[in-house]
Amino acid sequence: MIINVLFVLKPLAPVIVFLFSSLQLFAAGDGVHLKAEQFFNIGVIPVTNSMVTSWFVSLLIIVIIKILVGSPQLVPSKGQIIVESIVSGLRGMLEPIVGKKVFFPSFWLLSGLFIFIIIQNWSGLLPGVGTIGYGNVIDNHFSVSKPLIRPGNADINMTLALALVANLFWVYFIVKYAGFKAIIKDWFGNKADKKEVHFLMFAALSLIFIAVGFIEVLSIVFRPVSLTFRLFGNVFGGESLLHSMFYLAPQVNWILPVPFYFMEVLIGLVQALVFMLLVAVYIGLICNHEEGDNH
Amino acid sequence: MYDILAQAEQVSQISGSIQGALGCLGAAIGVGIVGMKGVEAVGRNPDAGGKILVQSILGMALAEAVAFYSLFL
Repeated sequence: MIINVLFVLKPLAPVIVFLFSSLQLFAAGDGVHLKAEQFFNIGVIPVTNSMVTSWFVSLLIIVIIKILVGSPQLVPSKGQIIVESIVSGLRGMLEPIVGKKVFFPSFWLLSGLFIFIIIQNWSGLLPGVGTIGYGNVIDNHFSVSKPLIRPGNADINMTLALALVANLFWVYFIVKYAGFKAIIKDWFGNKADKKEVHFLMFAALSLIFIAVGFIEVLSIVFRPVSLTFRLFGNVFGGESLLHSMFYLAPQVNWILPVPFYFMEVLIGLVQALVFMLLVAVYIGLICNHEEGDNH
Repeated sequence: MYDILAQAEQVSQISGSIQGALGCLGAAIGVGIVGMKGVEAVGRNPDAGGKILVQSILGMALAEAVAFYSLFL
């Protein structure tokens, strides 16, 4: 039985050695900075290491999808089957939430957000992220103070951009597919049944619903903030955790981050899922009522 | 209460922020409650395990986000 295990591990051995040796390159630094480090400026706009990483990963996503699918055929090739299975999985998850009418127009936004965020998060776990860069020597170890590669979502500007784009298109979708009247009715409208309630009570309830509508608008204005900080906090916190796990116990320092890498894989997947599902829920709350489903 | 916190900071070099501590405390309790109810629901209806898992993970991610508001905002 031990021999079987060794046969399984043999092809994996170079991968494991590579991963552990990249962890060895790491040395004490001042932790991960909240602000991503700048490389150069394009005119007035600073370009940070996480921006450059996100460009490379985006290019990788585009190239891989293009190689997988090419031009879609009626009889699918193997790559097309993979992409089709991802699309149908996302469809099964999203169609009950956003409703049939707005599913197809909004699918590009939701699936784009999911694929983008999940691949950016997972590519922040590859060897070399955070360990290759500019630095100086501190007591016989090379210490990286300005890494060349940093996960794209560990920069709050990136997650802010994603949240703002998602909310901008949320406004577009609900205005186009539900209309202003349905929006105002959903936020400020009186939801009591006029026949079952006395007239004075109905009037009082109208005032209460209008006040509740203002509170709802306040919570809607807070949505971009919450989307931003949820994704940023998880990815930046994960990066910071992996860096600090390395210094916790000097004797076993290369093995301690390994379980946290698995946790970061799960967190990367969950945060992409949560981002996409939240935007879908925001769209579906207003647009799905129009299908006439039970209130 | 602020006197005690200031003295604790001087004596023992604890310099964490109370804002982050309270936020993370709330988030941890919230995630624990979601987990507790999720496990209970699976116990009542084991066949719905997959759907309950998806809902639980969504609820935990939303509850944990509040910790990040208090840490970074």
